[in-house]
Amino acid sequence: MSFYLSTIVVYFGADLMAAWGLNMQFGWAGVPNFAFIVFQAAGAYTYATVTLGPSGGVTAFQHYIFGANLPFPLPFIVSALAGGVVALVLGLITLRPLRRDYQAAVFLLFAVIAVDVVSADVNLFNGSNGLAAVPQPLAGIQNSLGLGGYQWLYAAFVVVICAAVLTLIRALGRSGWQRALRAARDDEPAARALGINAPVLRLQVFVIGGMIAGLSGGLLVGLISAWSPGGWQYSETFAVLTGIILGGISNDWGVLIGTFLVQIAFQELTALFLPQIGYPGLSDALVWVVIGLLWLVVLYFRPRGIWPERRMRVNNAPPKPVERGGL
Amino acid sequence: MLQARPDEAAGRIDHAVLDVRDVRVRYGGVEAVSGAALKIEAPQVVGLIGPNGAGKSSLLAAIGGQAQSASGSVVLLGEDVTRLPPHRRARLGIIRTFQTAGVFDGLTAFENLLVAGVGEEGSTLRAALGTRAQSRRRTQAASDLARQVLEEFEIWHIADLYGRELSGGQRRLVEIARCLMRSPKLLLLDEPTVGVAPHLVDRIGEHCKRIRESGVAILIVEHSMEVISTICDRVIVMASGQVIDDGPFDVVMQSGSVKEAYLA
Amino acid sequence: MSSTILLQSIGFGITTAAVIAIGAMGFTLQLGVTNLLNLSFGNVMTIGAFASLIVERWHLGLVATILAAPLAGALATFVLARTLFAAFAKRHNGTFDLLMVTLATGLIIQYTLDSLAHLQVFQFTFPSGSTLHLGPFVFTVLSLALVGVAAIVLAALMAALHMTRRGKALRALSVDPKLARACGIPMRRMINLTWIVSGALAGLAGLVYVTNSLTVDAGAGLDFLVLVIAAAILGGAGSPVGAVLAALVVGIATEVVAAVGGSYYSQAAGLAILALVLVLRPASGIWSGPNRDEVTV
Repeated sequence: MSFYLSTIVVYFGADLMAAWGLNMQFGWAGVPNFAFIVFQAAGAYTYATVTLGPSGGVTAFQHYIFGANLPFPLPFIVSALAGGVVALVLGLITLRPLRRDYQAAVFLLFAVIAVDVVSADVNLFNGSNGLAAVPQPLAGIQNSLGLGGYQWLYAAFVVVICAAVLTLIRALGRSGWQRALRAARDDEPAARALGINAPVLRLQVFVIGGMIAGLSGGLLVGLISAWSPGGWQYSETFAVLTGIILGGISNDWGVLIGTFLVQIAFQELTALFLPQIGYPGLSDALVWVVIGLLWLVVLYFRPRGIWPERRMRVNNAPPKPVERGGL
Repeated sequence: MLQARPDEAAGRIDHAVLDVRDVRVRYGGVEAVSGAALKIEAPQVVGLIGPNGAGKSSLLAAIGGQAQSASGSVVLLGEDVTRLPPHRRARLGIIRTFQTAGVFDGLTAFENLLVAGVGEEGSTLRAALGTRAQSRRRTQAASDLARQVLEEFEIWHIADLYGRELSGGQRRLVEIARCLMRSPKLLLLDEPTVGVAPHLVDRIGEHCKRIRESGVAILIVEHSMEVISTICDRVIVMASGQVIDDGPFDVVMQSGSVKEAYLA
Repeated sequence: MSSTILLQSIGFGITTAAVIAIGAMGFTLQLGVTNLLNLSFGNVMTIGAFASLIVERWHLGLVATILAAPLAGALATFVLARTLFAAFAKRHNGTFDLLMVTLATGLIIQYTLDSLAHLQVFQFTFPSGSTLHLGPFVFTVLSLALVGVAAIVLAALMAALHMTRRGKALRALSVDPKLARACGIPMRRMINLTWIVSGALAGLAGLVYVTNSLTVDAGAGLDFLVLVIAAAILGGAGSPVGAVLAALVVGIATEVVAAVGGSYYSQAAGLAILALVLVLRPASGIWSGPNRDEVTV
């Protein structure tokens, strides 16, 4: 049980970081990044390849690019960089003044293609089998701490990283930079006419979000020692988004609660406690159906989420929206 | 608050505020502006009038940078801005409003002004990652100015309302107030009184005059002759993409060019 | 790459193009009229394919098998559009919000199908006929039939759009919905017609796709959707002829890429074309603007 709990903590920490990262892109900057999960996968795969050693070596039956044997904590740094690089390349191509729905479609299709290509091309990241037997960081400690103890230490590590990411998010969220991003999201020509260099700012937030996503991928692989295409279908971005939109876009604590509800409470607990109905794998498929339905419900009834963005108040007198005709 | 800048006004006698020559703007296959020219020597309120399709907004876009001119030049206080993108022109002092009142819906009225006022250094990523004390100092100056401007425009009470919660007239006022956060040298107003209640139109006119007094040149596209007659020292008439008259209000009104423009 | 392989790829590309073209025509028709990027289109294609699969399993004959796809597609699209999409559109949600609705809908359809199909991949049998050599190209009777079907669909669509009153009304609708409404065009009926026709084409496209690929699974439509959307947008929203020509470009490009780089990169070619179009082409309707942010649903 303790084993399971520490695993949950790690999953929640990684999912939460990822959610905050996507919230920066989607909530602050208005970028409909339906390819977000690809950044997490980039980080996850690179973490695996730089820890497994050169391809065809010890784990002779796995083929991949970028093999290396980096010691802790370098692989985590590399995973963050990988997410950032993929974000940079994708961002340079797609972040242009394009109608938002077309842009969303491009991101989505990119996510679909990426999974297909990686699944099919065995030489990239071992195809649809994915990578496995990734050595855990500082595994030597396992002898003294025991597997359970080691896992709790790892969970604590993830919590610390998560807290650091939160500090970064909050600092950025309070800044003039974030305000400029929101302005560019609302009305780009008006923002540019006020001196805001919107394209550069958007690329910055895209890359930072990508790095956080990459890091979250690395943290996940550090624990579960494996990563495969099954874990980053396009629908995964949906799960992250549903958590964000349920909790409240642009509200950091709302995102936390929403992510907990969707990623942890819903997915894990249904897996645990719901009786295994039908055939194996059915409940997984049904979970996605429910997530889709949940998405529609939230979009219809409370598109701003349960906990809306907290507005800045400077005037102590309570503002009342005035009726037309007066001022 | 809107301090006059005698030092700047004195130093710039040799440069016109705005010098536009032979500007051509094409949209698709249509030439919206064909060889327009105008010069604003000193701070004044210049009205730009003409029928729909005359090219007024396109000319404004060419000056503001939203549209590229195929030829000619746009010079602000001696500096050639013809090839510069909008955000660079804004940093040099050309600030504009839009026909659709470009107020940021997801920001409060106060934040609308703040985002305009913090300046380039304050809106960068580097600044965001800096210390709390530094950013607080930066925002403090802008906050104080924002409060001042909102109070001058008598809309301090709506400071905490989101852009989308404001009425049409309030949006216009916020948009114009926001322009002042950047100490513009040249203010381009694109039909600022459309859809605004009459008493507010008067207020906007008053504010324009005060802005002019503080040393800012204003180029205002307007359909309302009342507004033009009240605040404009000078009027430019456009028709079919060209400037057909340019002079003091009374002279232009007498000359019959306005009638000609609308009948063309 | 030798010229024989190149020519053969072009031959395969023509068949692939025919498969893409039917879907692209349906997609572009719907996009042109409603201004809605309907990402559940791929899943409707899958529904069409499954419908045919089921009818085939029941041994109801070739004709029924073929008809099942467009019928299922039309029905599914019509129901979705009149319930879900209409509900959201009524609240003045813009193109982006509606896109998210279609995406969620697609997700629900895909995983519902997956659940019903017990997560399996199915084999589809369809008589492919003998192989024919036409000059440097290699075709089967089936692939020629597919090309024929695409040609017939194109001809029928063009005839309907340009020679019937309903068709002209549809074209007017896609250019300027407000004006169309003011001119007394029966909007509701025209839009319903659009959903039915494009849904039927989606279903048919799904069937055509699996006759080519011979496997059906719940995710089939989505892989294919990339190529369909690329062709529809490259050809210009609302233009069936454009969609067909673009389908030729996309189809041949993917086959050539497959011959050179491996089949798994062929879809990436489709995406690359789409990205190139969106980046380079200053087509109207793709850029946001005050008048094109609404859907006509």
